[in-house]
Amino acid sequence: MKRLTFSFLLISLVSGQWNYSGSFQPITMHRTSDLSNISLPFRIAELEVGFSKGDFDFKTSSVVEYRWTGGNAEFDLREAYLIWYPSWGEVKLGKQIHAWGAVDGNNPTDNLNPYDYYYMFLAGADRKIGTLSGSVKYYWNDWQFEAVVISEHEPNRYPFGEDDFPVAMDDPADMLIAAKKGNEFGVRLQTIIGNSDISLSYFSGRDRGFTLVGYNYYIDGATPALTYRKTDVIGIDIVTFFGDLTGRTEVSYYNTNNDQTTDIETFNDAAYVQFASQLEYTTANDITLMIQLIGNDVLEANGLTYSYDEYGNPTTELVAMNEDELKQGMGTPFAMFTDLGMFLSATGNYLDNALEIRINTFLDLEDSQKMLGGGLTYSPVENWKIDCSISKFLGKEGTHFKDMEDFSHIQIGLKYSF
Amino acid sequence: MKKFIFGIISISFVLGQTGYEIAKMVDEKPTPKDLSNKTKMVLTNSKGKSRTNAMVSKSTDGNKKQIIWFIEPKDDKGVAFLKIEHDDKDDEMRMWLPAFKKVRRISSKKKGDSFMGSDLSYEDLSSRELDENKYNRLDDEHVDEVDCYVLEIIPKPEAKSTYTKHISWIAKDGLYGVKEESYDKRGELKKKKSFTYQKLKNYYVIKKVFVEDVQKKHTTEVTFSDVQVDTGIDENLFQEKNLKRLPHN
Repeated sequence: MKRLTFSFLLISLVSGQWNYSGSFQPITMHRTSDLSNISLPFRIAELEVGFSKGDFDFKTSSVVEYRWTGGNAEFDLREAYLIWYPSWGEVKLGKQIHAWGAVDGNNPTDNLNPYDYYYMFLAGADRKIGTLSGSVKYYWNDWQFEAVVISEHEPNRYPFGEDDFPVAMDDPADMLIAAKKGNEFGVRLQTIIGNSDISLSYFSGRDRGFTLVGYNYYIDGATPALTYRKTDVIGIDIVTFFGDLTGRTEVSYYNTNNDQTTDIETFNDAAYVQFASQLEYTTANDITLMIQLIGNDVLEANGLTYSYDEYGNPTTELVAMNEDELKQGMGTPFAMFTDLGMFLSATGNYLDNALEIRINTFLDLEDSQKMLGGGLTYSPVENWKIDCSISKFLGKEGTHFKDMEDFSHIQIGLKYSF
Repeated sequence: MKKFIFGIISISFVLGQTGYEIAKMVDEKPTPKDLSNKTKMVLTNSKGKSRTNAMVSKSTDGNKKQIIWFIEPKDDKGVAFLKIEHDDKDDEMRMWLPAFKKVRRISSKKKGDSFMGSDLSYEDLSSRELDENKYNRLDDEHVDEVDCYVLEIIPKPEAKSTYTKHISWIAKDGLYGVKEESYDKRGELKKKKSFTYQKLKNYYVIKKVFVEDVQKKHTTEVTFSDVQVDTGIDENLFQEKNLKRLPHN
């Protein structure tokens, strides 16, 4: 019987179709201030292997993470999942990265996967972490319906203890209360109305980032209690066209509450919204211009916080928390930087797409901080690319980008694709 | 005598055909229900430097529904493009971007945008609606010993064309385009296109397109191989989900 099963498996594998692709891409980062090396891990090699047979595909995506100083190369299986393509849609099962939303780069409606903060300046799926999940997508004329179930909560990956990371963080493991067990799930309905794509979505899960919910008493006193709050998200995203302009908009409403028990409970519940809206236009000489507004607003926050004395020191008296103190544990990472910001970008391709030049800027419209960036990618020979970019952070005292000024850097990379 | 009269009537009918009637004959000639091929696109700049793209394409309904999977360059492998033309609303164009794991709806209104950096625009790749153009018949000509009708095609405003005029040479035998010149908004020659065909199941099916952007001094040669017609491509192929799946060999 074993021999028969093995033979069947072997025949299936031989008669199916294998495919692979990947890249090798060493990168080096240097501070603009003194050209010193920034020692952070990067993905030096990527490999995607797939197998297709009939209506089934099996896909894997893996990377080798490496840092030039003080670390070993580490293998990471980012995705491994099975897909079945019935006539009515697609069914996926395994460790996978999902993508919801209409806007480029910042998606308040997309909360299915945690983010890897080591790669938060990368675009697309590269900055997400795969989760063990199952999804079903059903297509019917102009309608699409998708349901996703995630078996276990996965938090963001933070660069704890990394001196070279722009926002230094200590590992709060001792204060962290594990998230309660339970599935997370999401549903999304998309249709075409006129010349627009419109989607409605709902997600119920736990925050990807931890937040303070109370304090526990130990022998040495009260210790902050951090956890991943229960959060429900209702989202809408729209793609539409105004003449030669393309508009993409997303809005999400988050309702979050604390379901953990602590000796002193300081957080009850809150509601907030995040939005991202962009317009894009391609000029006659093929330069793509994009403007994107991103922001958030806390509608309600119920909880307590320690008051401060006249010298700014915390007292033992608990008072009602105010809305500005709410830490948003879900949504797009850029929401943590600003309540209202604007991205501007221009990208042009030249020399038969062998050269791409891009300029991008982020302006905080509420605080005095900004990020200026630019780069070029040149492909001298097919399948080889050289990439150079510069990112400069500027901000006044007390802003996030002020803390990141020393992270202003030049990045140089080489990429070979196969 | 009857034969003679019939001959005279036939000759005067052919000589008397208007540009619109010829265009209508071209529009109504039988075309494959569906078409699939492998496409190689070589872009060459004024200095003679070339770049190659490879893709697999499947289309149906006279190219009104088309799906293209990009194979080369390797960095673009897996990117795919879906186009569905509608009569009553704007066309739908979507791209699957594997790096973003997203199907991205793109504008179908920028008809003049270049397709993958080539000298072909999205307008060049779209079907031309018969009644959205005016047709003037010019004197017939021979092109490489092929006897051709010559039409001046002027897009009407509703065509929202990026061109003001095309001159098109159409083979009398087979009613396929042999070459075409397209003029920009300033009325200046923009592109010269030439076409090579092969006969498959009684259809003239395009085998090679050579496009020269005379203003940019840049050329694109598109060669089609493994061409198959009327294989019964399922309409369900032209769905988003199939963008994510490179076709089997």
